[in-house]
Amino acid sequence: MSPGLRAVHYLNQFFGGVGGEEKASEGPQVKDGPIGPGGALQGLLKERGEIVATIICGDNYFAERTEKAVEEVLQMMTPYRPDMVIAGPAFNAGRYGMACGEVCKAAQGKLGIPAVTGMYEENPGVDLYKRAVYIVKTSDSARGMAEAASRMVNIALKLIAREKIGRPAEEGYFPRGIIRDERTDKSAAERAVSMVLAKIKGEPFEPEIELPKFDRVKPPAAIKDLASAKIALATDGGLVPRGNPDKMESYKSTRFASYNIKGVDSLSSKDFEANHIGYETEFIDQDPNRLVPLDVMRDLEKEGVIGKLHDKVYATAGVATSLANSKKIGQGIAEQLKADGVDGVILTST
Amino acid sequence: MRLELAILDIQDVQFGEKTTINDRVLYIHRQELRELLQQDKRLSKVDIELAHPGESCRILQVADVVEPRAKTKGSGEDFPGALGKQGTVGEGSTCVLRGVAVVINNQSEMHDMPEAEDPMGDIIDMSGPGAELSPYAKNHNVVVLPYPADGASPDDYKIALKIAGLKTAVYLAKAGRELEPDEGEVYDLPPLTEVTQGIEDLPKVAYLFQVYCTSYPAMVGEPILYGDNIRRLLPTIIHPNEVFDGAIVNTYQGRGTETYVIQNHPVIKDLYRRHGKELCFAGVILTVSRYTEPERERSVAMASNLAKSLLGADGVILTKASSGAPDIDVSQTAQRCEDMGIKAVLIMFGSESGIESGTVFNLPGAKAIVNTGNPFRLVSLPAVERIIGKPVILPSGVSADGELKKAPNWISGALDQEGHSKMVSVLY
Amino acid sequence: MTPIAVMIGANRIIPGAGVVHPLGNIDLDPKAEKTLRRAIVEKALETLQTELTEQKLFPRPV
Repeated sequence: MSPGLRAVHYLNQFFGGVGGEEKASEGPQVKDGPIGPGGALQGLLKERGEIVATIICGDNYFAERTEKAVEEVLQMMTPYRPDMVIAGPAFNAGRYGMACGEVCKAAQGKLGIPAVTGMYEENPGVDLYKRAVYIVKTSDSARGMAEAASRMVNIALKLIAREKIGRPAEEGYFPRGIIRDERTDKSAAERAVSMVLAKIKGEPFEPEIELPKFDRVKPPAAIKDLASAKIALATDGGLVPRGNPDKMESYKSTRFASYNIKGVDSLSSKDFEANHIGYETEFIDQDPNRLVPLDVMRDLEKEGVIGKLHDKVYATAGVATSLANSKKIGQGIAEQLKADGVDGVILTST
Repeated sequence: MRLELAILDIQDVQFGEKTTINDRVLYIHRQELRELLQQDKRLSKVDIELAHPGESCRILQVADVVEPRAKTKGSGEDFPGALGKQGTVGEGSTCVLRGVAVVINNQSEMHDMPEAEDPMGDIIDMSGPGAELSPYAKNHNVVVLPYPADGASPDDYKIALKIAGLKTAVYLAKAGRELEPDEGEVYDLPPLTEVTQGIEDLPKVAYLFQVYCTSYPAMVGEPILYGDNIRRLLPTIIHPNEVFDGAIVNTYQGRGTETYVIQNHPVIKDLYRRHGKELCFAGVILTVSRYTEPERERSVAMASNLAKSLLGADGVILTKASSGAPDIDVSQTAQRCEDMGIKAVLIMFGSESGIESGTVFNLPGAKAIVNTGNPFRLVSLPAVERIIGKPVILPSGVSADGELKKAPNWISGALDQEGHSKMVSVLY
Repeated sequence: MTPIAVMIGANRIIPGAGVVHPLGNIDLDPKAEKTLRRAIVEKALETLQTELTEQKLFPRPV
């Protein structure tokens, strides 16, 4: 065989022919050449490369001692001097998917070897590893092996050749969260007109932005006794002390701030303003209570309607803030509120 | 309505003894223009500068960009309502100086937006990577720098700025009115009762143009539509030629678009281009994005009804001004249209966070989206030899003529949400 | 902006009085404005005391 690329293939106990669930606790072992699905990969690689070794490991073994298992797998592949690592495809098998993702990530990160794997979209490994590793889209069962193998080999070869990898839809992998701005020959207006014509005719079209999916949180239990409850105020309207001494961001926020309002009966425009590029802030600058209703809350506290108004007001600016940072900020605020024994929060959002 | 653009292809702009066009060169009598603009009592003085493509020059604090255009005699009013006189536009002929743009520079101390943490404002680089992003870098730019008069209120000044720019655009284009045009463009679209004649089997596509959003209240007297500040505009129909021909002036707030884009509206141009061939251009609906629920619901209901029951649209394209509440308006309008059987496509900025895709809505009827690129990705710009505008030092210590990083959102013309740019954000 | 709050899954949502003044109204005199603000806040407190099994967009308070 001509000296081509050297590939190491990672399989679980089932695809490696060791056994079923009863063999899932088997540790890693290495065999020369392709095993099982490796044959399909070899067929696609043809003379460009060779599967020099296959590493087979039980899914439970891997899941129960991941760090150690990864180390062992890497040590096993090193003597074979691989140019690429291909794992799975794992289809819809969750533990297998995690193992494949981990092996590829480690091969890339620790050994600098290009790696690729394949999974079905519901495999938990997808969300966890798609940013670190190229994961091709597969069907949910081994019936889709041929297509999965073809996609994996295509990407593996391109990675090694340092060729540009095309768009996720073209090459069949899960988007990795990297956004690149590119020139187009047709303006957005032209593309929009073409898209609407396609839609009218019932032809397929590719939206250029994905609609988000959001999870749901179970509503916390209601407050039973408001008169003894501690309520806090928060906002994403960009409330800051006048002059913005902490240099809070007015968009794409990465952090939040808290302001001590102990003894303060009302937010004054002398002390506070709104720092937010997403809306015209003059009305809030005139009277910050229009954003964070401190004056009214203080009255309600004095009247005994609520037990206590929390001493801190939390603020950030919401515009164009990434989902990841939004979550971080929300969690950060929630942790502090919880630590301070706050029962309820009123968040004003602009 | 039939509009003919009589286009003069201008290759250079220079100051001269008379404002005239000779041999494809526009000569400007600087003092005459200054005196014309300085008649406005809201201004103390006005400077005029020129910037040419390829120069190592950065224009700062750009408030708007306007294409020099003037109605030929008897054809209608220039920027009706905005420049004082009302009148009809969209018909007859309009002289256009192509290759020239009027750039209005905002010399006020007062800035509304906290991004005047960056006192450079919007910029145009006439060469280098910034110029590659902006079509205005390919024009000979006549930069108008009006200064506020003592006692002029911030709103007075903002409006005076705009008027100065519009006046300049008209003044310059008038120099070309008697000349033979180098090319002509004809925009001819009959009324709704006739527009489908002969092309009954072509899909009818309408354009919903969200021209403004009220999260940024318009100033009293700010001219946007026929001189009106449209703060309370309910969805209405307008002829596309009116959009091209000066009926709509971009709001002071900019919001990523310039009057120049509206004068050369890319969606309207493309619908015209394909009219009679692939589609029937069914019309244009103007909307304003509202920031309270009941007003938004009213706008969504009215706009979708206009599209369905008056224009008879099979498909609509929606664009928006700015982001946030405007996204809710267009997505809800798109959903309502889809519910009524109209196919909807939206044009908007790409990912603003740069690391993940996503919109602030997830209505299935609004999933057909074309994006115009990421407005906040940073582009490195080199130092320049010359700046036009107020020389400022940024909070970081860099001076405005130095090497700096700027996002397309603040490079005039780099991208807009009307769709003229040839960029797209792709998720890999 | 309540549609966004609904989409992302906030559980207790009440509409405010407008993006640029969620708890105010520039067309009212200060006293009336404070009364409006109080009405919205009281409604907010009410939602905190309402048992829910899933998210709810409460009706506009005023």
